[in-house]
Amino acid sequence: MKLMTHIVAGYPTLGESEQIARTLLDSGSGFLEIQIPFSDPIADGPVIAAANQIALQNGTRPRDAFILLRKLHEYAPDKKLLIMTYFNILKQYGVEKFCRDAARSNCYGLIVPDAPIDEEAHTHYLASCKKYGLHAIQIISPITPETRLKKIAQAASGFVYCVARFGVTGAQKKLPQELGGYLQRVRKSIKVALAVGFGISKRAHIAALQNKADIAVIGSQIIREYQKSGLSGVAKIITG
Amino acid sequence: MKKPSLKKYILNSRGTFGEYGGCYVPEMLMPIMEELAFEFFHAKKDPKFRAQLKDLYNNYSGRPTPLTFCANLTKKMGGAKIYLKNEGQNLTGAHKINHCLGQALLAKRLKKKRLIAETGAGQHGLATATVAAKLGLKCTIYMGAKDYDRQRPNVFWMEQLGATVIPVHAGGQILRDAINEALRDLLTNPQDTHYLLGTVCGPHPYPVMNTYFQSIVGAEIRKQLKREGAGVPDLLIASVGGGSNAMGLFYEFLDDPDVKLIGVEAGGKGITETQKKAQHAARFQTGRTGVAEGFQSKFLQDKDGQLKETHSISAGLDYSGVGPQLAYLEEIGRVKMTYALDREVLSAYTLLAQTEGIFAALESAHAVAEVIKRAPKMKKKQSIVFNCSGRGDKDLFITAQKLDRKRFRAYLKSQL
Repeated sequence: MKLMTHIVAGYPTLGESEQIARTLLDSGSGFLEIQIPFSDPIADGPVIAAANQIALQNGTRPRDAFILLRKLHEYAPDKKLLIMTYFNILKQYGVEKFCRDAARSNCYGLIVPDAPIDEEAHTHYLASCKKYGLHAIQIISPITPETRLKKIAQAASGFVYCVARFGVTGAQKKLPQELGGYLQRVRKSIKVALAVGFGISKRAHIAALQNKADIAVIGSQIIREYQKSGLSGVAKIITG
Repeated sequence: MKKPSLKKYILNSRGTFGEYGGCYVPEMLMPIMEELAFEFFHAKKDPKFRAQLKDLYNNYSGRPTPLTFCANLTKKMGGAKIYLKNEGQNLTGAHKINHCLGQALLAKRLKKKRLIAETGAGQHGLATATVAAKLGLKCTIYMGAKDYDRQRPNVFWMEQLGATVIPVHAGGQILRDAINEALRDLLTNPQDTHYLLGTVCGPHPYPVMNTYFQSIVGAEIRKQLKREGAGVPDLLIASVGGGSNAMGLFYEFLDDPDVKLIGVEAGGKGITETQKKAQHAARFQTGRTGVAEGFQSKFLQDKDGQLKETHSISAGLDYSGVGPQLAYLEEIGRVKMTYALDREVLSAYTLLAQTEGIFAALESAHAVAEVIKRAPKMKKKQSIVFNCSGRGDKDLFITAQKLDRKRFRAYLKSQL
C-alpha cells in the first residue's frame, strides 16, 4: 500500500509547510499533494479550509507553490508531487500556462475538484494537462453512477481518487463499512490505480484498505497532528 | 429570419450562457445536481406541480402583488411615468419566497426530508424557514457569524419558525462562508437534504430554476399594465445582488426589443478597493470572469483569483459574485449595469417613503436611486417599472442608526 499525504502551501507559514513536506517524504509518503490555497475551498472541511485562510493571510501565491514543488523535487526526486487547488486559481493564472509551469516544476499531476470533465469545453483543463504530460487526477464518489464512472474512466490518468464517504475532507474515527463493495465496483471500470481518501486518520484505516486500493490518502489529520505535536507527530502518523 | 428567443436560451437545460454558468462542483455533488435538474425540467411541465405552486403563490404568499403607479413621485420627477412592483407585499416581505416555494415543492417531489439554506441578512433564511414550516420539512440555516450577530431579530424569527440557525465561523464569517458551509452540509447529507440556494447563482440548475420561479414577477407586470390600458414599459430597473429579483423582473420582457433593462449594483462607499477588500459590490465595474461556488461568472477577485470581501449598506447585495445569466445578458448588451452609492440609496429610501408611503428594502432602494436619475430625463409618455423587491421594515436597525441615530440609540439603551 502506497501513501499520499497532503500539505497546504503557506500553512502555517511557507517555511513550515516545506518542513512538514520534507518530514512526510522522509517518513515514507510516496505521493504528496501540495494545495495552493483558495478563498472558497468548497470541497474542504473546516480544518483544511481554515488552513487555506491562514495561508492566504500569509500572502501565499501560486508561484510560491511552484517554487516549493521544485525544492521538494530536488530534495526527493523519486517522489510523486501533485498540486491540489480549485479551478479559479488555474483560470486566473491561465490554464495552459499553469500546466506548463507545473510541469516545469516536476509536478506529477493535478487534483482540481471543481473542474469536472463535463466542463472541458469551457475549461480546456484535460487538454492542457495532456499537452504538458501532467496527470489530471479524476475523482469518484460512492454515489457516482455507473454511466458516469465509464465517462470518467476515459479521462482517468495516473490514478483515480476515490472519496471514501459522503462529506468533505476531514478525519473520521471509523471507515464506512460499504467501502469494500464500492471499491470493487470502481475497480471494474477503472484501469489505473485507486487512491482512497476522506476520513483516513490512522494506521488501522490504512491496514483495512489492504488489497482493496493502491494508495491511501491522509489529509487533514496531518494538520491536526502538526497543531498538536509538531513534526514528530506528523512523522508518527506514517511510521506508527 | 426571426431572432432566436432569449427567453428560451436563458432557461436552457444545460445551464450555460455563453461562457457563463455551468456546473463546477466536486464529483460528489454532480449526481445530486443532475437529479435536481432532471426533476425540475419534469416538474415545470407537470400541470399538477404548476397548480400546487400557483395555489401557494396566490393563497399563501398573497400573489399577485400590486403594481402601483407612483403618481406623486412621477409628478415630482417631471418625466416618465413610474410604476412600482411591490414584491414587499409577499409573505415574509420580499420576492425570495417565490423561489423558496418552488424549490420546497421540488424537494417534496424528490422525497427530501430536510431543507438547508445560506443567508446573509436573514431574509432568504426566513423565507426558507417559513416554507419548511408550511410544507413540514426540517430546516437548517447557515449564517456567517458576523451576520448572525448583527441580524439578531431574523435569527429569532427563524428559530421561532422551528429552524436551526448555525453561525459559520470560517473565512470572513459572511454570506460566502455560509454558502460554502451549506454546500459542505449537502456533501455530507446528499440523500435526505435539499439545498435551497437563495438566488440565481450557484451550479446548474439553480440559476435556471430560480429564474423560472421568479419569472412570475414580470409576467404579472405585463398583465397588470395591459389591464390598465398601458403598453409595455420603456424601461425596467432592478437592484442586482445575486440577481434573483432582477431576473424575475427582466425575464418576461427579454424578447421585447423596445424594453430597456437596467440592473443596479451596490456602489457602497465608492468604486475603490484594496488587494483583499472592495468598498462596493459592483461586479460589473471591476470584476472579472472566474469560477467559484460552482459556477462561472463575474467575480470581484484579486490577480490570483481569490474572491474579495465586499461592502454594501444592504446585506442582500453584499456579495462578490453575480448570476451567470446576468453576466451573459450584460455581455451581449441586453442589460445595462450601473451602481448606486450607499448615500444615494438612503436618500432614495426616504424620498419613496415620503412621496408614496412605501418603505423599500435597502436592496430595492438601489433601484429607486436609479429611477430618480433616469425619470426626469425621459418623456412624459414613457414609463418605468422598478422592482420593489422587499419592504424596508427589516432594515430598521440600519436605517434608524443612519437617519435618527441619537434618539434610536437612546431608545435601545432604555430597553436594556
